Amino acid sequence: GAQISEFSKAGGRLTEMARAVANRSRALQAILQSALNIARFASPTRDSHVVCVMSPAGCSHVNGFKVDNWKQNLRVIYQCFVWSGSAETRKRKAKSCICHLCGAHLNRLHSCLHCVFFGCFSKKHIHEHAKSKRHNLAIDLLYGGIYCFVCQDYIYDKDMEQIAKEEQRKAWKLQGSPPPHHQLFSKTSGIGEKYSMWEPTKRELELLRHNPKRRKITANCTIGLRGLINLGNTCFMNCIVQALTHTPLLRDFFLSDRHKCEMQSNSCLVCEMSQLFQEFYSGHRSPHIPFRLLHLVWTHARHLAGYEQQDAHEFLIAALDVLHRHCKDDNGKKANNPNHCSCIIDQIFTGGLQSDVTCQVCHGVSTTIDPFWDISLDLPGSSTPFWPLSPGSDGSVVNGDSHPSGATTLTDCLRRFTRPEHLGSSAKIKCSGCHSYQESTKQLTMKRLPIVACFHLKRFEHSAKLRRKITTYVSFPLELDMTPFMASSKESRMNGQYLQPVDSLNNDNKYSLFAVVNHQGTLESGHYTTFIRQHKDQWFKCDDAIITKASIKDVLDSEGSVAHIHQCSDV
Amino acid sequence: MKMEDMSLSGLENTKLEALAHDVYSDLVEDACLGLCFEVHRAVKQGYFFLDETDQESMKDFEIVDQPGVDIFGQVYNQWKNKECVCPNCSRSIAASRFAPHLEKCLGMGRNSSRIANRRIASSNNTSKSESDQEDNDDINDNDWSYGSEKKGELMHSNPNSPRRSKSLKHKNGELSSNVNPELYKYNYSSGISYETLGPEELRSILTTQCGVVSEHTKKMCTRSQRCPQHTDEQRRAVRVFLLGPSASALPDSDTMLENDGYDAPDGQLIMSRLQWDGSSDISPSDSASSKASTNNSESKRPKKKKKPSTLTLTTTGSGGERDKGQERERGDRDRVVSGGSGSSSSQNALALSSRKKRPKLPVPPALSIYDDLN
Repeated sequence: GAQISEFSKAGGRLTEMARAVANRSRALQAILQSALNIARFASPTRDSHVVCVMSPAGCSHVNGFKVDNWKQNLRVIYQCFVWSGSAETRKRKAKSCICHLCGAHLNRLHSCLHCVFFGCFSKKHIHEHAKSKRHNLAIDLLYGGIYCFVCQDYIYDKDMEQIAKEEQRKAWKLQGSPPPHHQLFSKTSGIGEKYSMWEPTKRELELLRHNPKRRKITANCTIGLRGLINLGNTCFMNCIVQALTHTPLLRDFFLSDRHKCEMQSNSCLVCEMSQLFQEFYSGHRSPHIPFRLLHLVWTHARHLAGYEQQDAHEFLIAALDVLHRHCKDDNGKKANNPNHCSCIIDQIFTGGLQSDVTCQVCHGVSTTIDPFWDISLDLPGSSTPFWPLSPGSDGSVVNGDSHPSGATTLTDCLRRFTRPEHLGSSAKIKCSGCHSYQESTKQLTMKRLPIVACFHLKRFEHSAKLRRKITTYVSFPLELDMTPFMASSKESRMNGQYLQPVDSLNNDNKYSLFAVVNHQGTLESGHYTTFIRQHKDQWFKCDDAIITKASIKDVLDSEGSVAHIHQCSDV
Repeated sequence: MKMEDMSLSGLENTKLEALAHDVYSDLVEDACLGLCFEVHRAVKQGYFFLDETDQESMKDFEIVDQPGVDIFGQVYNQWKNKECVCPNCSRSIAASRFAPHLEKCLGMGRNSSRIANRRIASSNNTSKSESDQEDNDDINDNDWSYGSEKKGELMHSNPNSPRRSKSLKHKNGELSSNVNPELYKYNYSSGISYETLGPEELRSILTTQCGVVSEHTKKMCTRSQRCPQHTDEQRRAVRVFLLGPSASALPDSDTMLENDGYDAPDGQLIMSRLQWDGSSDISPSDSASSKASTNNSESKRPKKKKKPSTLTLTTTGSGGERDKGQERERGDRDRVVSGGSGSSSSQNALALSSRKKRPKLPVPPALSIYDDLN
């Protein structure tokens, strides 16, 4: 009974979809119709053979094809005519793929699998060929699906699909600029797998069929959110954990079980992190008690442990460091070179900071690039002067300027961060050009931005004379373009190209805010909370065990101590 | 038409628009085709039904947005009784007290060295009661009151315990006149009964210890000569009482700090305090005494060249720095203070791969340290 209703539900939805695309094209409708037929056809009242149409999605007619060197032939077809990886192959495909009967380029062109023949589907030219030559299989050149003329439907043969997937992956790699999402996982060695959709096995399908109570994570769903018990002044840890569990890429990594632990002991922090995600997505509503996490972090980062007052930012760095160290085993390769680690932490969080020291005498520039996980920004109101910015700072208006009389913005802080700084006569640097100590200027810019960047506003001042918290309001935007602060922008500016046109199509440097950590209170006693973003534009306030909905205004009005931003193209 | 033969330059606008429209509708149709294939495959492979969800249970997970409750519809602050098991000692600990417990359990708390010293010192003594007391250190996670633990009593959970308020009052280094009743309990079991001792013994004891006789227990205080519980007046009085008027003079401060056998536990610990404490405002828990115990760990921290953790321009100093000189107040929630980073304009220090250490703060007047002992 349950099965029938399932099928009819599926049938109902398919009919809807079929109707929706009816205006589009008859051909599309036909595909859905065939799916509809299958859904209706396979009902439990029929004999078992028909029901089995659900499991093997291939057909017996491919056996005629699977002879001799069929695999290689199929690969060639995929490489040349279906998946075009490079510009040349695209051109070749465009020029050579043309219906042999009518000359059309489109009309759902198919290629015969048995011989070299292209025919369009819409005008049935490929059908004619199939009938006359008894070539029963053809391949759709747009999506690579195999059509069987005997079954009169697209079929999914496991071996052939395997080849199709492999060729598609190869083509992705060849492509000049793959989408950043794929770029993350395909360009670095070791973690070279593109994400593919999960497909249940037969057994899994059976189990799922018997357990129909399924939940999906929709926009109005609490799954993925969970409170954290305060273990005794551990709100500094809780706030960072909330930010990390809501970092989309990190979440995807852990929820898809990408961590394969090679540590012998039980003390892998990455495993604990993985477990944390399981807890957050378990659907439990009571707050989680992160005592194991605390234990592991203190075990592995002893310099942190034992202080009751702790800094959230310090914890973030320590946690990333331990995760990074424990992650090294994930690559499967001996990636022990600290400069070329390709663990998930490095892939997501590590950026490159360029430091240029220019000798004032010979104008020779000495450049170093250091990896960074966060950017610590000075604030106005500290004992070191914030305004005015040194001459030569960029005049870009990309993110909206402010001036001393208005509220300080995050961009102001970034501009100050990347300003050229005269090092003064007491701090002369040895210039390799002049072979002597000279006065110089130093400038910091971003050489490479991480996918997730963390800004740390230095609100706690500890100078020899005073300790205090700087409560100056700094406004930060929901979206931030980091282009003006890049090393490449600086080079263009130095070459005289001021006010570069904003490349609105290039999203590489565009970031959006997804987590803000706030500290309330004074230096002596205070409390951390975090705002996190979920489902694109919903914000929540995480105050230890209490999670509540927050408005964007709440977030933007907050003081801000640590802000996490995520590269736009990936969300 | 053949692709190569088309040239767009000579075409009128309407033709161009028509062409553009064709291209556009082809693209849309191709996109729809892709979707159709996905659905078709899902049905054929048998996993199309997975998209269906159970509407009833989905309702349970809807976000609640009402005052007084969290997004799950739960009332705030109902999570007081959570417990967890310490991975180190396997004891069951209240979750909200886990961090201080772990601190001591792992031996990295600021008081752990003191406790350890006490243990070592008391193992040289015959007094069993003291060693009994130390077992309670793990349970009692606030070492505010030195030596005031009673076995089995979880005094930390009482925010109104006299100890807490006392520490706040002692900011300016005044001795308190109220004595914590629990201290008596400590003295009760470990004090000395003067009636049983001969004059020589009394004298030797009185040269190293406070000796003031407690009204309640009739025993002598075994704390040091500078015990904050009792005044110098009282000490003088007891010496007169026990040894006669000639013995009224208290030994001078030079000999006070010598470590005699009996006094060893106290003396060592107090000495260590003198060395490490910061300003007079701080209480022992956030003094840098733990810095001594974590110094080893600091040196173990690997010096990284290109590792990101060291490099940020924060020049975040070593962890202990920010704690120096910070006041701690007992709040009901968190007194987390952020230490942030070191000096703000120290971007020049970017090149350093190791963390800078801040200079130690000067030694405070000795009197203030004892405030915390009450």
